[in-house]
Amino acid sequence: MRATDFIDLEAGTLSREIFSSEEIYRREVERVFAPAWSFVGHTSQLAKNGDFFLSRCGIEPVIVSRDQAGAINVLLNSCRHRGMPACRYDSGNATDFICSYHGWSYGLDGALVGVPKFRERYQGKLEREKWGLIRARVNVFHGSIWATFDDAALSFEDYLGPDMQFYLQALLQGPDGDDDGYEVIGGLVKWQVACNWKFGAENFAGDHYHGYSHISVERLSVGLSGKTSRHNFAAAKTPRQAMSVADPKRGHTIRASVFKDLAGYDVQAGAPDEVNDYYLKCHEERQKRLGDKARLLIHGGVIFPNTHFNSAGRTTIGLWLPLSAGKTEIWRWLFVPRNAPNIVKDTLREYYLRYAGPAGMVEQDDMENWTAAQHGTESLVARKYPFNYQLAMGLARPARADEWLGRDVSITEDVAEHNQRAFYAHWAERIADTP
Amino acid sequence: MTASDDRESALDTILLEAEIERFFSAEAEMLDERRFDAWLDLLHEDLRYWMPIARNVRFDKPETEYTREHSEANWFDEGKDILRKRVLQIQGGDHWAEEPRSRTTHLVANVRVEAIDGADITVKSRFVVCGYRLEHDVDLFIGKRIDVLRRVDGKLKILRRAIYLDQSVLLSRNLTTFF
Repeated sequence: MRATDFIDLEAGTLSREIFSSEEIYRREVERVFAPAWSFVGHTSQLAKNGDFFLSRCGIEPVIVSRDQAGAINVLLNSCRHRGMPACRYDSGNATDFICSYHGWSYGLDGALVGVPKFRERYQGKLEREKWGLIRARVNVFHGSIWATFDDAALSFEDYLGPDMQFYLQALLQGPDGDDDGYEVIGGLVKWQVACNWKFGAENFAGDHYHGYSHISVERLSVGLSGKTSRHNFAAAKTPRQAMSVADPKRGHTIRASVFKDLAGYDVQAGAPDEVNDYYLKCHEERQKRLGDKARLLIHGGVIFPNTHFNSAGRTTIGLWLPLSAGKTEIWRWLFVPRNAPNIVKDTLREYYLRYAGPAGMVEQDDMENWTAAQHGTESLVARKYPFNYQLAMGLARPARADEWLGRDVSITEDVAEHNQRAFYAHWAERIADTP
Repeated sequence: MTASDDRESALDTILLEAEIERFFSAEAEMLDERRFDAWLDLLHEDLRYWMPIARNVRFDKPETEYTREHSEANWFDEGKDILRKRVLQIQGGDHWAEEPRSRTTHLVANVRVEAIDGADITVKSRFVVCGYRLEHDVDLFIGKRIDVLRRVDGKLKILRRAIYLDQSVLLSRNLTTFF
């Protein structure tokens, strides 16, 4: 397979087959997902030693735990004896994980600690230290937990690259610009959609263009003001420049705005008074801490391949988890500012619930459209005709030296399919045997 | 208490449950016939509409099985103001997840009065909601409901609705129907 079988960057076209071919899906599992660093959760989900929750690393099921020494472990949730999940509880607090089949038990760090009939029938010879749960490499970045099972993968810092580290740090900063500013609220949102995972990924990567999908919520307004748009920043009075920012070398993408000046705070414009007061105070702190960089407003993005996030007044991080070429499970973590008063946390929580996920008035229309687009990748005739990614082609520029938007990134201002092109170009490089 | 008092009280309960069953049947019909404005009229202005997310937890932690209202992630945790917007969204013809509209059938069963406190009646029931959409899409939602109905000027209004869906990972792409 060659990268040019799928993508033609000069023409701005992409094969439809990559959304429906099971063969390509199998290659993705090995070549795109396995070597990646994946978001698996947040340290606020592991407040106490012994706390654990189930997650996914790439598409692999994992246990994320804090052991008795306080260290964070990411363990393949598969008993070494017969492959049963060692843990079948979504979350909790435990001293060990006991497989329900033959009773092998594992410590919070994955060490095999108990084997029935160890002395009598294994004659004490089973090498327990070799039969612990498979451990992933783990990295904690400003409270977010990342993992990979690929020993040959780059370091987490190199996988992200310097620019994406800057954006991820900015995403995880509280509204006051403080690092580690967020905590996860209880309960992960999980649901299934009958479409290829990349429809979600490309939408989050850089689709500033799909306003038509959401005209119903623009009409009704589901933002905090209840008066304007689905986005709170739509009520902002300070002019801003929307942009797509891509790291083409690594496939990471960001949708962001940069406000023209720091004069007024209005990112959460229209919020109820108590919420607005909190954000006003935060805004002053944020300016002190970040200076000119406080002008940045992250809308969302994708850390290649499947970790996605939304920001701009509602911070969520999620995973696209392909089950097959045509089916995807989606997981979402909802974040609130750690030090905010409860009224702020609750207002934001209600905003997510009416915005995002299968009950979200905004995202319902995304899921509907992605499912319908999937049909367009399955017809034999349609597959001969590629998809069009020509929007704002040829308008990209590198980040300027006087900007702090990044060193390796390329930028297209306003509505563009800049980020989708970068995402798929990197994807095709990973999938292909030759360029 | 005499035997006839007992019988009287049992009959009161049966009559009340029959009234509530009729109320739920009429409500289901409004939703299935897409008479959403009439449905909104059944909701008390102070309604809390809550559908938690189910988690798989240890047998001795049943209190953690469903996410909590007012603090955790839920499928729904909102008041009448947002439900009104949801109705307006469906009615606009531009909410693609419901355009063209789904065909739904709401079944409510096992209706049982749990408690009566002044004007408020706590009712437990079971529901089956089937949604068929476009050519091939099928949604099936099964679960339990606990409602608090308040009698206002002789009419029942829904003051609180807790909806316990049996699924944990939602096996449908969307929750565009009402429960």
